Amino acid sequence: MITGNGIRNSIYCAIAFAIVACASGPMPVDKLAVAKTSIERAEQAQAAQFAQVELTSARNKYAAAQTAADKNQGEVAARMADQADVDAQLAESTARAKQQEQLVDEMDSSLRDLRNETLRKDNAGSAVTAPPQP
Amino acid sequence: MKRNLIALAATAALLGPLAVMIGCETAPRNNATLEEARSAVQAAEADSNVSKYAPTELERARKLLINADASVKEHGANDKTANHYAYLATQMAHIAEQRAQEQVATARIMSGEAERQRILLSAREHEANNAVAQARTAQSQTEAARSESQNAQAEMAQAQAESRELANQLKDLQAAQTSRGIVLTLQDVLFDTGRSRLKPGAERPLDQIASFLNEHLERRVQIEGFTDSQGTNDYNLELSQSRADAVAMAIIQRGIDAQRIRATGYGEQYPKASNTNAGSRQMNRRVEIILSNGDQAIPGRIASGAP
Repeated sequence: MITGNGIRNSIYCAIAFAIVACASGPMPVDKLAVAKTSIERAEQAQAAQFAQVELTSARNKYAAAQTAADKNQGEVAARMADQADVDAQLAESTARAKQQEQLVDEMDSSLRDLRNETLRKDNAGSAVTAPPQP
Repeated sequence: MKRNLIALAATAALLGPLAVMIGCETAPRNNATLEEARSAVQAAEADSNVSKYAPTELERARKLLINADASVKEHGANDKTANHYAYLATQMAHIAEQRAQEQVATARIMSGEAERQRILLSAREHEANNAVAQARTAQSQTEAARSESQNAQAEMAQAQAESRELANQLKDLQAAQTSRGIVLTLQDVLFDTGRSRLKPGAERPLDQIASFLNEHLERRVQIEGFTDSQGTNDYNLELSQSRADAVAMAIIQRGIDAQRIRATGYGEQYPKASNTNAGSRQMNRRVEIILSNGDQAIPGRIASGAP
């Protein structure tokens, strides 16, 4: 009986321990995956060139999240993964915005050239359409 | 002992929430990370492009800020979760701004592309118009050249027809084309001997000449009278002049303007034959009618050196 109670107690104890362990958070596997995907998207958007600070921050936090996960620090890992995710998203959106603005600049200057070109052609064209000298 | 423990627990149960509430009241609200998040979200909200182009991200940032505020209320200003949410809110507000900026740039690129198309189209229209104008000019030039050449051909055909007609009309008059013009000869047989009156046989050739002159108003006519060598010079000059005048008169009577006609008697000058026999003398007795080439003046006999 006593032995039976002891076993039962130790089982309760183990469950209690598990619950306590759980309190430090389950490993945020999905959050890590999300952060990883976001970093990859940022890299594809050429964030290394256009948003270096944000991308570096994302990579560092992702590494920290992995380290925390390895150490069973689920809560820290989840926070670091979340922050790595938003940093990566910011890196991606910053890189995209900068590139798009470069395109706007290029477009503006090419439109300027085109207008000048058309103006010149117009003048040349009107010279051509002038009636031939008698 | 046990009672004390229960009392302590009860006190804690009562005081715990109270302590948290007091903590909330007294905790410094100005958590730096949280305030940064708040101003980041407010800045994003102030940008009309953000609410237009990135409303989802802006809403996320707002909710994260609310979470951060709630965590501060619940756990105090230095709560890790509050700081975490505040950081996420800041970044999300920036993300919203960047995405809006990207969309604004994209919209500008699209309108720029439309502008480019418009410019190209109008340039192309211009070029097409120029090409059409050039083609029209070329075409009208070609047409002008063609009609010119058609005119030339028509003129040539007309001239050929005229000369054929002329040849037909004047066939009977021994017409000869010379450098002075068309020379027609009225033989002596058309005059009474020694007189200047025209015989009825002269009617038909004179009609032909008059109608020819009516058709060719630009042409002038020179009438020259000649005799053989018999008789005196004065007589012959007189006779040749009066015969030439008679022909001129007959032509004027047929409706030809006298201004176009000149009549001269040369007497026995410029003989056509030797005057040694009756046949050659008859050839010398004649009136020559010279029709000008076009509207040119008829050169004189000596000047032209013609016989």
